[in-house]
Amino acid sequence: MQTPDFKGTHLFDRLCWAKENLDGVQSDYRVVYEDSIDECAKILVPDPNWMACALQGGILPPVWVYHELAKDEAQPDFKKHTRGYLLHTTEPMPAMTEEEAIEYLIMKDIPQSVWQNWDEGNRPKMVICKKEQLPSTRTWRNAWRISDELNLAA
Amino acid sequence: MAGTIIADTLTHSTAGSVTTDYVVNGSAKAWVNFNGTGTIAARDSFNVTSLDDNGTGNYDVNFTNAMGNADFSSQVTAGYSADTGRYGENLAYNASFATVGARNSSGTSVDNAGIAVTISGDLA
Repeated sequence: MQTPDFKGTHLFDRLCWAKENLDGVQSDYRVVYEDSIDECAKILVPDPNWMACALQGGILPPVWVYHELAKDEAQPDFKKHTRGYLLHTTEPMPAMTEEEAIEYLIMKDIPQSVWQNWDEGNRPKMVICKKEQLPSTRTWRNAWRISDELNLAA
Repeated sequence: MAGTIIADTLTHSTAGSVTTDYVVNGSAKAWVNFNGTGTIAARDSFNVTSLDDNGTGNYDVNFTNAMGNADFSSQVTAGYSADTGRYGENLAYNASFATVGARNSSGTSVDNAGIAVTISGDLA
């Protein structure tokens, strides 16, 4: 199905179109990351309807738009967004592969302090894996950590 | 856009009128139903980019179209368990995501297979 020309269309309206016209895509990819030494590892799970938008193209704004909004939210005097128009007026992204979508998602929803220098230090702070590689039970979920013995070349 | 109706007021033949502001402001801006056990996964959703599994009974819901501020309303429910009871809770708000959780009747965070989140408020 061809995506309508959504340039200048409110992002919420684009998502309404996608909800009505696209089937969700369950990705097997997961991103395990650690953003605090005092907390257990977190796991980023792509949303199926969002993934469908990413694969379709012409719907989602570029990830730099979210970074601009994040800068605004980080200001101590932040009250409300005044640059939300960036979400709606910026040229939408073309179709992505599933792997490109995961990279986009990492840069959107994981703290920059994690992905900008994910492999610096004594062990990685972030790992992209398939959901089958995660532990099958959650008995000790709050103790999960990225393995020290992780082979990054694998 | 094709099929667009532009109106400020909706009028019923007998029940009266309502401005379309009511419809826009009163509509949910994001929602998700997800399984918070095992490898967590959304069953269905709207305006959600991803979920973060932060640990036992603790999850982030990340928005595609951010909210206008962090003062939105979030309703969280968790599936009931006959032995322990369950309830959903709001843990933190940010214009770009909401942190939600589930606890049992003792107040302990627990994973839950039926968590539903609905977000109302103003969009960015």
